[in-house]
Amino acid sequence: MTRYALRSIASHKLRTVLTAIAIVLGTAMMAGTFVITDQIRNAFSEIFGTSFAGTDVYLSQRPAFGSGSGQDQVGPLPASLIPRVRQVPGVAKADGQIQASGSLVVHGKYLTSQGGAPNLVVSTLPKPFNQNTLVAGHYPNAHGQVALIQQTATDHHLHVGQHVGLTTLGGVQPVTIVGIFKFGNVASIGGATVIATTFADAQHWYDRVDKASTISVAADHGISPGELRRRLQAALPHFVKVQTGTQAAKQQTDQVSNSINSFFTPALLAFAGAAVLVGAFVIFNTFSITVAQRMREFAMLRTIGAMRRQVLLTVLGEALVIGIAASVIGIVAGVGFAKLLGALFKAVGFGLPLAAIKVHAWPGVIVPLLVGVLVTLAASIAPARRATRVPPIAALREGAVLPPGRFTRAVPYIAGLVLVIGILAVFQGVTGSGPTTARLLTIAAGAILSFIGLAMVSKYLIRPLARAIGWPLGLRGGASGRLARENTTRNTGRTAVTAAALMIGIGLVVFFSVLINGFKQSFLGSIDTSITSSLIIENHSQGAAVPTAAVKAAAHAPGVASASGIAFTNVRINKGGTDVANGVDPQALPKLYMFQWQKGGSDALLGRLSGTNALVEEQFAKSHHLSPGSTFHVTSVDGLRLTLHEIGQYKDPVLFGGFMVSRATYGQLATDSNPQVLLVRYAAGVNTDQTTKAVKAALHRYPDVNVQTNAQFKASFSKQINQLLYLLYILLAMSVVISLFGIVNTLALSVFERTREIGMLRAIGTTRFQLRETILYESVITAIIGGLLGIVIGVVLAWVVALGFRSSGIVFAIPYGQVILSLFVAAIAGVVAAAFPARRAARLNVLEALQYE
Amino acid sequence: MGVIEAKDVTRRYGEGDAAVDALRGVSLDVPAGQFAAVMGPSGSGKSTLMHILAGLDRPTSGTVTIDGTEITTLNDKRLTLLRRHNIGFIFQFFNLLPTLTAEENILLPLQIAGTKPDDAWVEAVIERVGLGDRRRHRPAELSGGQQQRVAIARALVSRPTVIFADEPTGNLDSATSGEILTVLREAVDSYQQTTVMVTHDVNAAATADRALFLADGLIVRDAPCNAASDIMAIMAELAAR
Repeated sequence: MTRYALRSIASHKLRTVLTAIAIVLGTAMMAGTFVITDQIRNAFSEIFGTSFAGTDVYLSQRPAFGSGSGQDQVGPLPASLIPRVRQVPGVAKADGQIQASGSLVVHGKYLTSQGGAPNLVVSTLPKPFNQNTLVAGHYPNAHGQVALIQQTATDHHLHVGQHVGLTTLGGVQPVTIVGIFKFGNVASIGGATVIATTFADAQHWYDRVDKASTISVAADHGISPGELRRRLQAALPHFVKVQTGTQAAKQQTDQVSNSINSFFTPALLAFAGAAVLVGAFVIFNTFSITVAQRMREFAMLRTIGAMRRQVLLTVLGEALVIGIAASVIGIVAGVGFAKLLGALFKAVGFGLPLAAIKVHAWPGVIVPLLVGVLVTLAASIAPARRATRVPPIAALREGAVLPPGRFTRAVPYIAGLVLVIGILAVFQGVTGSGPTTARLLTIAAGAILSFIGLAMVSKYLIRPLARAIGWPLGLRGGASGRLARENTTRNTGRTAVTAAALMIGIGLVVFFSVLINGFKQSFLGSIDTSITSSLIIENHSQGAAVPTAAVKAAAHAPGVASASGIAFTNVRINKGGTDVANGVDPQALPKLYMFQWQKGGSDALLGRLSGTNALVEEQFAKSHHLSPGSTFHVTSVDGLRLTLHEIGQYKDPVLFGGFMVSRATYGQLATDSNPQVLLVRYAAGVNTDQTTKAVKAALHRYPDVNVQTNAQFKASFSKQINQLLYLLYILLAMSVVISLFGIVNTLALSVFERTREIGMLRAIGTTRFQLRETILYESVITAIIGGLLGIVIGVVLAWVVALGFRSSGIVFAIPYGQVILSLFVAAIAGVVAAAFPARRAARLNVLEALQYE
Repeated sequence: MGVIEAKDVTRRYGEGDAAVDALRGVSLDVPAGQFAAVMGPSGSGKSTLMHILAGLDRPTSGTVTIDGTEITTLNDKRLTLLRRHNIGFIFQFFNLLPTLTAEENILLPLQIAGTKPDDAWVEAVIERVGLGDRRRHRPAELSGGQQQRVAIARALVSRPTVIFADEPTGNLDSATSGEILTVLREAVDSYQQTTVMVTHDVNAAATADRALFLADGLIVRDAPCNAASDIMAIMAELAAR
């Protein structure tokens, strides 16, 4: 029987290939995900390994809580620690380093990094801590000297001896390039710009006088790093975190690893999972159709003595072979997919350093292989069981039909139930409490159930849908449209599953479009209703500061009525999780921002916003059970504790989540008191273009800040969001492509099945063109059904999720243009899918087709 | 001049030593309104002859004209249009579309051609084949005989120059065969419908006006026929040769 299964595969090569592709693409995405995340992890591991290679012990500020977003948030150490460290017996050498954000200005142009990587400024460390390799010149050793990483120099044609500018918190500083280096032995760290200065310059330029971001320590001969770490720990105050170089490298690598594992990997795997789910539908459908077509074959096997079990194993055997072959090909293709992903991320500004490609058995090979094979087997079980129900007598009779299964009558009810449970599970996952992973899994399971449920339900919707969609085609295409419509309703189950495969891809596209549009609209809407400034100014580097000096400069520009910085940072609330502390200027803010006061508050409250007084956002108050007069405790990442008093509540979960304190109080809570956003409002009656020019002129020493009008700011925000959306579209395109193969497969098998009918149609005068048209329309009707179902489920799921996030200010807004576009994409998919089967049908020889059995 | 004229038609399958001559020079002429039966044992070439006359297959040599049009040189598109407007088919296995009702199947050729059905004519045809009360049924709900009536109506509805029937009773029991032949005969008589029927059913051939006997790719006898016994006699004579 094994031979029989293999023969069957060999004799239906095309069908096998089309079926296998469904699994190849999904497993390729899965394998590719493992490859690229491993590449990122290894790249960071190499980077940190290099960084700490010459460091025996590493000192930094101990964070009060894990913010999860790297070490840059903790404040600097006092530089006075350095001589103290040098006193500790066993210390051979100890030096401080400053790490900040900034970049070069060349011919008035600010150099940004590639693909959204950071713009780093670091002070030069002496040997052995400095693990860089000089390519040209020397490291900076006097005021005004800088060295830079090779990639930056190459990209911008910079050379030693060149006079350029460096952005600092005090404006652009004139500097001279004295050296070009490699990081370890590589020219680039994932596209980041890296500028090295002297320790003293960095202290002065980045508000770190008498401070050191970190201190690197080397041990005397014969003293192990571990021993030195113990000695330093005993000698230094508790706020200093003491790690060996190895520990620090590992911790920083782990931090990256954790953020990859907690977001990047699951997100990519979710898209791969969607592709695999679509593949499962395609496989289920293909096997269902072929089992139906091979009834006589199975009946013949039964008449000559095959047991039901043998028939079952024949079909499952085919599935197993296809599953294994497809998964293996998919894993190989995964390497290519990883490369594609890397290029894609770079293109949309999520550039990440990538190490060489390595494929590990676990999980890179085993997981995709298992998933691919198991999904193929699972999808073919139902068709295989159906094959066992073929009665032997079918071998002798034309047009024998399968006896209905036991549960046929209950199917519509079960389907509806599955759909409802799926939607409820999504809602539960969004709104429920519990660990994030569990909630995400609930949402994923809910989504899968709703897709399966809707696919099962759709069987009963095919007739009316096909009639409605086919109606205009019937008008235009005459007999072709009419026949196409009849063909799609001939086997509603088959059409439903074919359409459902496309439904998943389109459904997810619509889901993300609607959800992200809601997010975008709520953000843009909040800006429109609340922000009354003329300009919204941020640093070109995402999250970097707008220097306080720049805020002052803008305020003094002619025509400016008011300018105010807004700073924000994460703090720990009470003993629980973290939330956002906003540092605002109580005098200027009401001129730039319109408060939505709650509980009878008014702008007068801002007069009391000083010291430990705080204004809290409605949701924040709700989750911490606050009311005016009550208190809450906050802890800064550096460990400072404050007890704050609520004096009033406002509502703005989108722009000002958490709470507000005065900038002075904020300065105590934050490691960097510079704001991240600067709002500028023009005086009444001034010429706006002239004033914008005046502000830009006033900020000419701060080329790292991006002066944008509100409209420009909103446009660039929308652009970023759209880029994210395009990335999602590309990832989802794989699912749509798989479903396209599903349609091709179904149509090709249907054409094959209807060979004699096609012969008859041709005999009685149907032209090849009409026949092609018929199949094209059939394909398009199926695809549009898939598109419509996808839109329905996508919108419903997005609505459920938006409902769950309503308290965070996320609105539910359908982007009609995008939704209609996705229907159009579905129709195009139908046209593309029809090409091959239609040609095949049109080329059938009439005579042979008529005599076909 | 006949509606169908074939001259020196040959058809060879394969090449070299493996070549088989299915037709070795057949000429015939079917006048308008005639009901001709083509008989012969399996392998005599009768199906090949019908396929060539109907434009489904091309002869190796020779010419075929239908209603004055030489069809052997037409391209696929012209042939399709010729089939659409000038030829009706009745098949052994009915070949109806399972998704369409009886009436829709009957109207199918008109739909494909994009012509508006003449309601009175359609009505007349449906009544003629005796399907008045079955028109809303799908093929699966019809007996074999009823399905073949649908096929006859489908062939008649476009008023073709000629109808080709390929073993129309081959898949029916004898009682139903009789009914179908009566329907076919009546249709030929009332509409002067030229019809060519390939069959090896003696009773079927007896319904026709004329019987052509094929053997080894040649017409060996061309005789008018009235009764089954006449045909049996001819067959016995041919078998004895």
